[in-house]
Order: sequence, then structure tokens, then C-alpha cells
Amino acid sequence: MIISFPHMGNLSVVLKTLFSGLGCEVLTPPPISKRSIELGIKYSPEAVCLPFKITLGNYIEALDQGANTIVTCGGVGPCRLGYYAEVQRCILQELGYQFEMIVIEPNLASVWKNLRRVAPKHSLREIYSTMRLVLAKMNALDNVQRKVQIIRPREMKKGESDVLWNNAIGEIDDASTMVTLRNAWHGAERNLDTVKLKSSIRPLRIGVVGEIFVMLEPSINLDLARRLGHMGVEVDTTMYLSDYVNGHLFRKSKYLEMYKRLANLAQPYLGHYVGGHALKSIAHTISMRQENYDGIIHVFPFTCMPEVVAKNILPKVSEDTGIPILSIAFDEQSGEAGLVTRLEAFVDLLQYRRLRNASEWDC
Amino acid sequence: MSVRIGLPRGLLYYQYGTVWEKFLHELGAEVVISGDTTKATLDHGSVLDEVCLPVKVYFGHVCDLYKEVDYLFSPRLISVSARQYTCPKIIGMTDMLRSNFKKLPPIIDTNVNLRQNQYSLYQAIVSLGRTLGRGPIPSLYAWYSASKYQKQQRISYKDEPDQQRIGLIGHPYILNDRQISMNVINKLRKFGCVVETPEDVSCHQSTAAVKDWKRIFWSSSHHMAGAALVLMQRPRPVDGIIFITSFSCGPDTLIGELINRRAQSLNIPFMLLTIDEHTAEAGFITRLEAFTDMLSRRKKP
Repeated sequence: MIISFPHMGNLSVVLKTLFSGLGCEVLTPPPISKRSIELGIKYSPEAVCLPFKITLGNYIEALDQGANTIVTCGGVGPCRLGYYAEVQRCILQELGYQFEMIVIEPNLASVWKNLRRVAPKHSLREIYSTMRLVLAKMNALDNVQRKVQIIRPREMKKGESDVLWNNAIGEIDDASTMVTLRNAWHGAERNLDTVKLKSSIRPLRIGVVGEIFVMLEPSINLDLARRLGHMGVEVDTTMYLSDYVNGHLFRKSKYLEMYKRLANLAQPYLGHYVGGHALKSIAHTISMRQENYDGIIHVFPFTCMPEVVAKNILPKVSEDTGIPILSIAFDEQSGEAGLVTRLEAFVDLLQYRRLRNASEWDC
Repeated sequence: MSVRIGLPRGLLYYQYGTVWEKFLHELGAEVVISGDTTKATLDHGSVLDEVCLPVKVYFGHVCDLYKEVDYLFSPRLISVSARQYTCPKIIGMTDMLRSNFKKLPPIIDTNVNLRQNQYSLYQAIVSLGRTLGRGPIPSLYAWYSASKYQKQQRISYKDEPDQQRIGLIGHPYILNDRQISMNVINKLRKFGCVVETPEDVSCHQSTAAVKDWKRIFWSSSHHMAGAALVLMQRPRPVDGIIFITSFSCGPDTLIGELINRRAQSLNIPFMLLTIDEHTAEAGFITRLEAFTDMLSRRKKP
């Protein structure tokens, strides 16, 4: 059994640890490239959303390289993600691939059942220690990334933190025990602390809200966070893998409470969960306004159903609260130049607003 | 004077409109239903960005209505059957209305969520009656007498051997709206075809047809997929399947693909027609003609 899975940001690091820890052979699909996107588009329905096409491209490349088992997630709606696996399996079978598809539904029983399926011989204890390492890696990656996004706009030498970040991913990926992981993690944070920062600078703060796949996968969002960082903007991504896992899978009380708080914030604008992250997009926008962020960037894949609802409501939120919002839909046609122009215009606008507000304060 | 309640002719109106109308009438309200969809409806609806055409049309109907009425009836239908949803855009419709109109009359947006609990329909009815100043018993009685009006007649298909039979698959709010669907049912009938739609297949049959798939969690798509399979797999299958979808309809992109693949394996021709507000009628007719011509060539020995 050679296991493969789709890419989504640093998800591959986490899943690789999980399955190799359970004693399976793992084949990480090649990083998302032009070729994987093209393969995905070629065999997907035309109007389906981007994550479908890209994960299909991942599967094809992985199966070509010799994987024979695909692990992916299911869902119970109403977002399309929950039905991806059924259609993708159909498409891949028609292309003539021999493989097995393990679909993990978002509840602990299904996770457990499928874990037993891929790792029947492992004892509870082994599974537990693997899971511990996996979750720790996830937290380490997310925490280092948060730190990088704060340092990036402030660093003296452009790109210094990016080098450290890439090294950190590699080291965390290589760590095989809790001790080495902790060393890699704290080492990375220490290295980041040595980056020389510009003194007395107050960068613009932009919150990124929207759909998780587009937000986390740099090859799809054309490296949005790094681009903004290099424009001198502190970026706060509102969704990390660990949030998703802790909230949806383990249903930790801290996250459930946060969700309740967010749902209350969004209530006047969106009265009910519509699937995906639409409710959170709106709630985070309001809550970031209260925390004095300068602007919001709303990202989502073109034709994403829940986010389209949010997109039609956000202008009203912006009008009522006075926070500027830029909505960007990504698809396979999204070009770099167009994105850069829009980001530059948006950042300029925010700078101008800040100057104007400051001068009003002075008078 | 009784209150005037506006009922936009769009989306789930085509499934539940008659019952709603009778129900509100029983409660003593005057019901105003917007007219047929026109070009102007489409223009008004284009305020919304990136949503599918039926949602824009619904928005357009609200534009037509909202000035003349005291209340707007737009219940939030989250789920109409167990473990299923309608569609994110339908669930969020009321909120999109509220965010994009400057001045709306009060919206009756009672939540209807039968996903986990069948009784919540009665809760919804009672709370709806309360909005109109009625107690629980009269409201429930009004619903009881209104639900008798639910469409009963089903056209049983006539067995005419020389005629082509086409399975026309699409959401009720696309197929029944003559402006959106370009009157496709009548056009096909003019070409001499017998047209069968998902409405001709009972819920029971369609559910049985898709039972070995993963449960489709959009109720409308669930019925459409099941109906398509029933039409293709019965002893005398349809000669061809036409799947009408509106651009950027989420569930249809996946369900259409599955139906297409099933049709291919059964050797039944399948055509996907995607519509939006820019679709021209001439091109539409050409494609229908080409499809029916192809079907009649296949039939010749």
C-alpha cells in the first residue's frame, strides 16, 4: 500500500508524518506545478471550483509515480468539497488507474476506522504517539508561520525570514521524535529572533479571510502573503490547519466558543451557516475591524458557493464598519500582473487612509 | 385592510409556491406574486456578483415587488429533508437581499431546517403565524388545509414508439421559468419529442435509484440525479439526456458529471446546456436541433 494525498499548504508535512508513523509507505505528490494544474483542468468538469481541479492533478501525478492508495476527506455539505471524492474517483477510474480511495468523513469515528484500515497491526500506544507528533508538527508549523508574517514587513534585508522559514519547514519535516521536533521548532523561532528589523516602523495590518485552500496554498494564491509582506504589510491569515483540525475534528471547547462568538458577530449580516467559511469571513472582518486592522483581503476560488454569498454581503459590512475590503477570486487563469496591480492599489489606498486619519488626529 | 405579503416568483417558489400562497391566504393575508421573469428582471438581478442566474432572477423579482407590499415572504429554507441541505446560495438569499437593498419591507425569514428534526417545520409554521398575529392552532390548521393543494397531477408518459423521448434534467426553477430556460420544453415538443423532467419521477423512485452512491446532500440535486438514472435505466430508456444548468451552479457541476458518465456507459447521448443572462436564443435552438437530429439519425436502422 503506497499512500498519497492532496496538497494544501504544509499539509503534506503533517500527513507524511502521520502515515509513515503508522508504518505505511508514503508518496508525497510532486509540488503543485503548472503541469499538475493543467492535468487537473483537462479531466475536470469545466465549471467546478479550483481545489477540485488541483487535487485531481495531484492524484494523477501521484498515481503516475506509483501510488496506489489515495487518502482524502469527505464532508456532509452543503459545500461541494464533501462530494469531491465521489466524482474524482469516477474520473480517475475512467482514466484507467488501479487504486483505492480512502475517504475520511469529518467525525472521529470515521478517522478511527480509517486509521485502523491503513494501520491494522499498530497498538493504541503507537497510534497515540504518532498522533501526538503529528499534532505537534502542525502547531509548530503554524506558529512559525505566524511569526514569519510578523517579521517579514519589518526585516532590514528583504527575504531573510523567507529563507529561515523554508529551512524551518525542512527541519520540522525531518523531525521524527518529539525532542527533535521541539529543537527544530525552538531553533527556528530563535533564528527568526536574530533577523535584523527596521526600527520604529508601524506596518499596515491586513487580515486575510476566505476559503482555506486558497488561503493556505501559495502556488494557488500566487504567494499572496509573501507578496504583501514584501510590500511592507503585516499579514494575519485567519485560518490555519491547526484551527481547522482542533475545531472541526476534536471540537475543542476553546474553538467551539470562538466559533460561537464569531457566529454572533456575523449574525446581523449572515443569519445562518451556509457551508464552507463564509460565516467566518464575515465575522473575522468585523472582529478585525474592532482590532483596528487597516484592511481586509477576501480570497476564494472562483464559483465557490459559500464565499460568493459572503462576497455579496461584505460590501455592506464594509459600508457599515468603514473597513476597506478587497475580494479576489482565484482560478487557473489568475495572472500575476493583475494581482500585483490590485494589491498595490489596495495597499496605496490603505496608506493614504492612514495618513489622512493621522493628520485628522493632529489638527 | 389585510396585510399585503409579497411572494417572489423564483427559486423554491416553483416547488412550494402554491402551498405558501394558500397558507398565507388562509391566515388572512393578501398575497402578491411577482409576474413572469422578463429581461428587466434579469437586468435588476445583475446587481449580485458571481451568483448563478436563478439567484439573480429571484433578486430581480424582489425588485419588482418590494415597493408594493407590507411584508416580503422569503423563508430561509435550510433543509427540506433529513441530512440534506438546499444550497448555500438559497440559505444565504435573505442575507444577500438585506445587504443589497437600501429599503426593504420587513422580511418574513423564518428558518426551516428539517436536517435533523422533522418537527421544526411545525415550529416554523407557528412562528410564522405569530409574525402575522395568529395563534398556533389557526396557523397549523391553515397549513393543514393549504398542504392539500400541493400539486397532485403527474403526467404519465404516453407510449408512442416513433417519437423521440428526451430526459430533460434541471432544477425546477430553471425548467419552469420560461425566460431562463428559453422555453425549452415547448421547443422540444415542437420538434416532436416527448419531454420527461425530474418532476415526472416520484421521490421514492429517484431515491432508490441513487442508493448506492454516497448520499447527495443537496436535496434538489439528489432528486435530479435519481430521476436521470430512473429515466435512463428503466425498460424503455429515454433516447437522450439534456442537462440544463446555469453557469456557476455548484452542485450541478459535480452531479452533471456523474450523470454524464453514467449516460456514456449506458450509451445514451448526453448534452450539457449552460445558461446565463447572456445566452442567446439562436445558438440555443441550433444546439437543440443538432441534438434531436442526431438522435433521429441514431434511431434509423
